[in-house]
Amino acid sequence: MAVQTQKLPYGIGRISGGWLLALLVALVFTVFGGYAYAQQLIYGEVVTGMRDIGTMAGAPWGLYIAFVVYFEGVSFAGIAVAALIRLLDLDHLKPIARMAQVMTVIALILGGLGVIADVGKPGRAFINLLKYARPGSPFFGTLTIAILGFLFGALVYLYLDGRRDAALLAKVPGKFQGFYRWWAAGYQDTPEARERHERASFWLALAIIPLLVVAHSTLGFVFGLQVGRPGWFGTLQAPGFLAMAGVSGLGHLIVLAAILRKVYGLEEQIDIAVFRWLSNLLLIFTAVYVYFMVVEWLTSVYSANTAEAQLLNALLRGEYAWIFWLSVVSLLIPLVLLIGQFATGKYRIGWLVFSGVLVNVAAIGKRFLVVVPSQTHGSLMPYVIGSYSPTWVEIGVVLGLMGLGALLFMLFAKVFPIMEVEEV
Amino acid sequence: MRKTLSLSMVVLGFALQAISYFALAAPLGTPTSPAYADPRLPFAPLLFIVGVALVFLAAVVYELMPDKNAK
Repeated sequence: MAVQTQKLPYGIGRISGGWLLALLVALVFTVFGGYAYAQQLIYGEVVTGMRDIGTMAGAPWGLYIAFVVYFEGVSFAGIAVAALIRLLDLDHLKPIARMAQVMTVIALILGGLGVIADVGKPGRAFINLLKYARPGSPFFGTLTIAILGFLFGALVYLYLDGRRDAALLAKVPGKFQGFYRWWAAGYQDTPEARERHERASFWLALAIIPLLVVAHSTLGFVFGLQVGRPGWFGTLQAPGFLAMAGVSGLGHLIVLAAILRKVYGLEEQIDIAVFRWLSNLLLIFTAVYVYFMVVEWLTSVYSANTAEAQLLNALLRGEYAWIFWLSVVSLLIPLVLLIGQFATGKYRIGWLVFSGVLVNVAAIGKRFLVVVPSQTHGSLMPYVIGSYSPTWVEIGVVLGLMGLGALLFMLFAKVFPIMEVEEV
Repeated sequence: MRKTLSLSMVVLGFALQAISYFALAAPLGTPTSPAYADPRLPFAPLLFIVGVALVFLAAVVYELMPDKNAK
């Protein structure tokens, strides 16, 4: 979409009734989340369902950590797709690069806020982590690489990638002109400036790919390195986290691209070729994750370890069975649909959006199952079997985070183009 | 100048990460004593993050800093 003389592209600055309504809904969720978190701050974590393992027969990591892992996963695909577009010169995917970058930044912010919600004294926890964290601990990696380093890298990538558009938009008089000038920071759309950006973004993309592999593997190590915790300890946690991150993030991106395509009438720019590429990539990640999942079950089924068997029983037939089977079905249905579309070569956006939603249901379920059952049912100590149910406070905070994510995305889309702007 | 500065930031960033990780944070090893639990320099993890940020900021410097011969 070319920049017109007075009109900014992609509905920037133009407020419609539908947008206001969506914003209001997101705002209600966000305020509700803020209220729920205020209850936790006032009365302490006793208002949550989280309790100690063993003597209190509970789980100190619950819904918050499950969603921290989920948000981190969503962030993976966004920046991975954006970096791959740059590294492999996938020009036809450029229309979704910006929205993928924004999705990554917002998901990382939500992940960071999820960590803050989880710890009882967030200020003290963060200071102590920055002061005392041990390099051997995966928490060191989670904070330094997965959240702070990755977020900083994603912000730099988004900022530099948006400079050219900011410079173009700064030519249009309006209320955001000052903001665009600041973002453009003196950018002149000359061949030299373009070449310089190409070079810088290439090296940035090259640096981000290994960083995100390390970041998501580290998150897997938080669980996978815990020797005394059946269900967690294993070599597949790190690659499994990476694969599931790809599944949830790509699912999100498909849904997001379809919504923006519809809202902004971008049928030409975000054409079926874009969805075909995303669909095939989602197919690969889903197939890899399903393979990891089956390998993990088989290993648990064949192991003579009582604690592993107890945990597996809770998943297959016990109190977590409904989440487990819901997650499995929510993975297998999209897998069949994606294979079908790949085999026939006929891609339908509606089915892809359905698959994108379902894999995210599966991702949330699987994240919950990774985090919680190993604490309530996976102890090697002679403790009684525990239980965990999130309270309205935890559910409220998580809904608030989702509302905040939607709110941030909608606000960004109203002040900056969600797709690269064409020539003036 | 622009290239030199941004390259220096990359080198400095990676050096800061390596030094803070291996030499300033708690020593790698089984934490059987406080010597393996406490950092040798408080806020060594923060220095590691500064190192990561420095590497990425090099890209911003590379793009934003004007050329010597630019008007």
